[in-house]
Amino acid sequence: MRQWREQNGLRSAALVDGKLKLVLNNTLAAVEDGRCAVVEFLGPLDAMVQNRLEVVFEELVANTVRHGFADDSDQSIHVEVERGSGAITLTFEDDGTPFNPVQAEAPGRADADRVGGLGLPLIAKMSSALRYEQLAPGELRQGFNPRNRTTVSVKA
Amino acid sequence: MEMQHNDLGNVRRIVLAGRMDTAGVDLIETRFGASIVPAGRNTVVDISQVTFLASMGIRMLISTTRSLSRKGGKIALYGATPAVREVIDTVALTDIIPLADSEDEAIGLVSG
Repeated sequence: MRQWREQNGLRSAALVDGKLKLVLNNTLAAVEDGRCAVVEFLGPLDAMVQNRLEVVFEELVANTVRHGFADDSDQSIHVEVERGSGAITLTFEDDGTPFNPVQAEAPGRADADRVGGLGLPLIAKMSSALRYEQLAPGELRQGFNPRNRTTVSVKA
Repeated sequence: MEMQHNDLGNVRRIVLAGRMDTAGVDLIETRFGASIVPAGRNTVVDISQVTFLASMGIRMLISTTRSLSRKGGKIALYGATPAVREVIDTVALTDIIPLADSEDEAIGLVSG
């Protein structure tokens, strides 16, 4: 993760059928660069809704870069953002190590003896729906072979 | 992410400002610990200008609180915005670090 601030976190961004599609690079800079693109796409939101979205985005992207990817690989996270009638839905696909953020064991409460592991409960509690699918190794889609798909909605 | 510190009598005061996210915490984590732990004083942390808090920021707060408590010092936070407060409540951070509404209340919590 050395020199991660010098890398661009955003590989590409596109609007397709009213949805925002982002490709994020394997760098912690993807957290901030991706967040800015999502915030710009969604426009003004209720402050609490925006905060929940940003928490979910930060935790999922940082978790994948830290734990799902090999250091310095060219692996990527594909994010789709859709503004629905009662919720905003984010779909994250990545080609990292299969990992289920829904079933992972986590303390859920801050613990003075265990300072990590708070990201997953934050994702679960800040979202109104959360689903994980492990994808079978399939055909490459423009060089991308996703192994994980996490879909998360935040009520808006 | 920005950080300042000063002393109010025997209590150290830290003022944090900005986003306590992955990038923000990376910038201040070392300085935050160094401003609190070696002095060993009871400490209040003004988070009223913190606009975002996620797990990396919580981890920094818990880690420093634990180090200070080994030296007999206490930490209290104060001034959380509603969005930051929701994150704090979600992970029950106040089980470990008390959260006050005002600076005076926070000083009372660490001085008691």
